[in-house]
Parts: sequence; C-alpha cells; structure tokens
Amino acid sequence: MLASAGFGAVMLVAAVLVIVDAVRLPETAEAVGPAAVPLPVGVLLGVVGAALLVQARTQFATAGASEAQPRAGLRVLGMVVALVAFALLLPLLGYVVTSAALFAASATLLGAPSLLRSVAYGWALAAIVFLVFDRLIGLSLPSGPWGF
Amino acid sequence: MDSFGLLLDGFAAAVTPEHLLWALIGVTIGTAVGVLPGVGPALTVALLLPITFRLTPESALIMFAGIYYGGMYGGSTTAILLNTPGESAAMITTLEGNKMARAGRAAAALATAALGSFVAATIGTVALTFVAPLVADFATSFGPPEYVALMAVAFVTVSALLGRSLLKGVASLLVGVTIGLIGIDSQTGQPRLTFGVDALLDGIDVVIVVIALFALSEAFGHLVTGTGGTTVQPLRERAVMSRSDLRRSWPAWLRGTAFGFPIGALPAGGAEVPTFLSYATEKKLSKHPEEFGHGAIEGVAGPEAANNAAAAGVLVPLLTIGLPTSATAAVILTAFQSYGLQPGPQLFSESGPLVWTLIASLYIGNIMLLVLNLPLAKVWARLLTIPAYGIYAGVLVFATLGTFAAGGTTVDLLVLVGLGLLGLLMRQGGIPVAPAVVGLILGPIAEQQLRRALTLSEGDPSILFSGAITIVLWVVVGIALVASIVLPVLRRRRDRETARTLAD
Repeated sequence: MLASAGFGAVMLVAAVLVIVDAVRLPETAEAVGPAAVPLPVGVLLGVVGAALLVQARTQFATAGASEAQPRAGLRVLGMVVALVAFALLLPLLGYVVTSAALFAASATLLGAPSLLRSVAYGWALAAIVFLVFDRLIGLSLPSGPWGF
Repeated sequence: MDSFGLLLDGFAAAVTPEHLLWALIGVTIGTAVGVLPGVGPALTVALLLPITFRLTPESALIMFAGIYYGGMYGGSTTAILLNTPGESAAMITTLEGNKMARAGRAAAALATAALGSFVAATIGTVALTFVAPLVADFATSFGPPEYVALMAVAFVTVSALLGRSLLKGVASLLVGVTIGLIGIDSQTGQPRLTFGVDALLDGIDVVIVVIALFALSEAFGHLVTGTGGTTVQPLRERAVMSRSDLRRSWPAWLRGTAFGFPIGALPAGGAEVPTFLSYATEKKLSKHPEEFGHGAIEGVAGPEAANNAAAAGVLVPLLTIGLPTSATAAVILTAFQSYGLQPGPQLFSESGPLVWTLIASLYIGNIMLLVLNLPLAKVWARLLTIPAYGIYAGVLVFATLGTFAAGGTTVDLLVLVGLGLLGLLMRQGGIPVAPAVVGLILGPIAEQQLRRALTLSEGDPSILFSGAITIVLWVVVGIALVASIVLPVLRRRRDRETARTLAD
C-alpha cells in the first residue's frame, strides 16, 4: 500500500516533468507536433497517480500499518550500492573480476551461507560467460588491466 | 500459393542442421527458464536479444520462438512441483497440479501437462498456419486510423487483463508509454524528456527496461522478503499416466485448446483468461467434482492446454498486425524490429519465406519439447533444487551482461538500477509490470500511426472514426472499458453475498 502510494507519487512527479517538457517543445509546421501525445500522457499520468494515492490512502486508513521489515531496506540499499559499484568499476577492472564480485555480493545479500563458495561460483560463471560471449561470439566485454 | 504449399517450403528451410540446432537450443533454454520461478520467456528473449546480433534473423527468431513455446511447458513443471507458477499463465495449474504432486501423483500431473501442451500447441499452430494468412490479407486494408483504434483496443484490454485492477494496469501502461517518449522524436527531430542528457537522446533501450522490470525487480523483491526455503515435491518415477488419467485428460485438452486459441488470437488476448475459463469449465463438467481442490487431473489438463493454445493464438495478431498482447510477444516484436523486420500484413508478402520457416519450426520445436519434457521431467525438476540466492545472483550477472551488450555504457547500467528500483516499487504496490512493457513497445507505434492519420486529414480528428472497421474497434474499446470497470464491482458484490450466505 505504501509502495502503491509511492508509485502514485512518482507518477505525479513524472506528470509534471512530462508536461513541462512538452510545453517547452517548439511549434512545428506539421498538423500534429511533437507535443501532441506527451501532453495528454502527462495529464493522464497525473490523474492516475493521484487516483493511486487516494486509493492507497483509503486502504491505509482501513487496513492499518503493514508489518515493517527493518533489514529489508538495508539489503536493497546494499544491492544498489553493489550494482552502482559494478557499473563504475566494470571499465576499470574488467568483466570477470567485477561480475564475480557482483555475483558474490548479491548471493550473500540474498542469503547464501558461504561467502567463499559464492565467490567460487561467481568466478566460474563470470569466466564461462566471458569465454563464451567475448571469445566465442565476439561481444567485446571490458577486459581490465589483466586481459579478462 | 496456398498456405499448405508455403508451409512445406517453410519445413524444407527449417529442417537444416543449423536451424534444427537453434530450435533445440531455444526449446532447451525455454524449458529451463520456464522451470525457474521469476525468470520468464520475456526476460530471456530480452537478455538474448543484444547478444545474438551475430546470428541470421532466421536463426535468432527460430530460437526465440523455441524459448516462447518452451517457457509454457517449463512453467507447468514449477507450478506442479513447487506450487509457484514458473510463468504467469501457469497460475491456474498450481491449483490442482500441486495438490496432485502432494498426493504423490506428480508424474501423472506432469505427463498430462506435457501431453496437453503438445496437443494444444500443435492444434494451435495448425490454426495459426491457416488463420494468419487470412488475417494478414484482411489487415492489408488497414490504414493509420484502423491501427490507432487497434492500439486503443490493445491498451485497454492489456491494462485491464494483465493485472488485478484497471487502475493499476493503466498506471503501469502509462509509465511504459512515458518511458517510450524519451529520446528524439522520430518525425520532427525534437528531443523529448532528455533533460540535456546526451545518453538519453536515443531513448532508453527496450531491452534495458524489460531486464530492469522483470529481473532486477524480482531480485530486489527477494531481498525484501528474504528468500525462504523451497519445498520441492520429490519426483521419483517417470512422467506416466494411467488409462483412466488419459480418458479424463483428453476431452479437457481439446476444450482447453478451444478456449485458448481464439482468445489468444484476439487483439485483446493474453494467455491468462482462457486458463481461468478452462478451469471453470472442467470443474463444472467433471464427473468427479469432489476431486477439484484436491488434485483433479482435468484441472491440470484443461488450463495447460489452454495456455499453450493461447500462446500460439497470440502469434496471430503479432505476426499479421504487429500487435503484441503479452509481454513476451512485445519483446519478440522488438526482436523482429532489431532485424529490420516490421510484423504486419506486409511481413507475409515481403518476408514470406522467413515467416513460414518460423511457423514450420514451431511444429518442430513442439515435438522437441514433448521429447524433452516427458522422459526428462526428472532432470528439469532438479533445476528447482538450485537455491534461490544462486538463481537470482546468476540472473543479476546475466541482467548486467544483457544491459551492457545492449547499451555498452555506464549510464545504461545506472538506468538499469534506477528502473529496477521502480520495478520493485511496482511489485510491492501490486502493480503489474507486463502492461508497462506493452505500453513501451506499442506507445511509439501508436503515436506514429496517430500522427500519420492526423497528417492525412490535416489535423481533423474525425478521420479516427471513419470507416466501418474503426467504428467497430472503438465500440470494442468502449465495451472493454465498461466491462473492466463493472465486472470487478459485480464480482466483489457476488463475493460479498457468498460470504454472507456462508456466514448465515
């Protein structure tokens, strides 16, 4: 319910962005310009977002607070940090090292009992992916200072 | 030339070692991802899209079609053994299938699911073979106004059908359409919603959105709930049915097929509705109604047949009009586009050999799937013993790989994370993600057709309601809208009344 309200709020913000952006678009010679579709989409985003907020509010009032999971937010935050670190380090450290680390980090966050084993599985998976997709299929993956 | 002759040519092209190999790879991957909960065919095709650019269009599309059909088979295995639908269309199969498994009849449930899937998919593919060219012929007369109306039908039904409430479906659809607006407007060259970020000028790749909404949100969702242990029903024997199982199954297969294909083939299709209808029908017609809820084999046979026939049906509007009605079909449409092919009436005339090779490979893939699933059910069931953390950590590795292959920049990976969080929010809020994918892919097409239509009429909107076909389609839009608002209200009222009578 909180999430549904949050999504409604996101839609309201998006509605403002879409409408502001559409109004900024210049008039063109065509019968229907580039703003013809974004404007109604923006309005609908606002209406539906507001409706979600209202719906969530009425349900919230009747159902009461849902059970909170204090550590869930931390785990998601950890995962986001791991993924952002992956995005930033991939060009520097190469595919295999960063992907193995991503696997180990996400498996641990998801509840894998043994870190050592996660690292081993992650390393194996990343190495296989690199061999198949980089060497065999020719998708060029970042190689880092050590060539893999 | 008639469909049959063209189909034979298609078979001749499909039965080459290379194409057979891709079909086999496709159905194998498809079954595997169908079995794994949370990893569906839509996600898999999206992941493979950027990394299969070296293949010929025929090979890639044959493989994707194999994944599409395979996912339907695999989904039932998970539904029966794990009580979790491996694929959304297998939801109903969990009702009776898992009860059968708990009663030690997993083998019979798997067998009726696999055989029913085979029967239904084969009949569905035959129907596709003969119906599709007719629809394509009919659709050649469609102009921009007809397409606008068709898109409207798809938008309304997709948001009403692919979720629990119309409001949440529309919310999801709108988010998809909005993401589709990002980038340079193809007709005027104006940048929209880019906010001065150069990386957004090309728009956000469909692949990245699909990966984020399906894969990342699933992984994040497991972080929130904690993975939990899995309880797989042990499967010792091979998938076999007794004579009475077979006698009870086959009418259900045929009835399921009769529901599945036509509903799937409507521009408003999807595979979930026919499975519900089939289940309700089998429950009503069964000679053993007392078994329903405790593992009735008809309750597995019918819905499984229905979802496979619907899967074949969904290909009709996809191939002939370019109208996807499920998330997987939407991603397959993107696959066609990435090879420079536009599904629609012209596809049959311009790329006839490719289409017929694809259809022929559906027959072949189906036979492969029966062989893969009937004797090897035990092997697939073993996939379910992989712990969830291993599956989702692996999914994340492939998700980042697919994103990197699609975009190739750090920004793409950051967009992936952002959209993944959006997906988590949707998941937590009970907002379905499939309408977003359909909106993202159909949105730009609908906009293009709308502006084309209005350019033709020099801005006069009455062109959108000209002609018999468009008027019929808009009436359908109206009926669907009213039905999607009224039906849930009626259902709620009936539920309340049943509850009251039960309480009295």
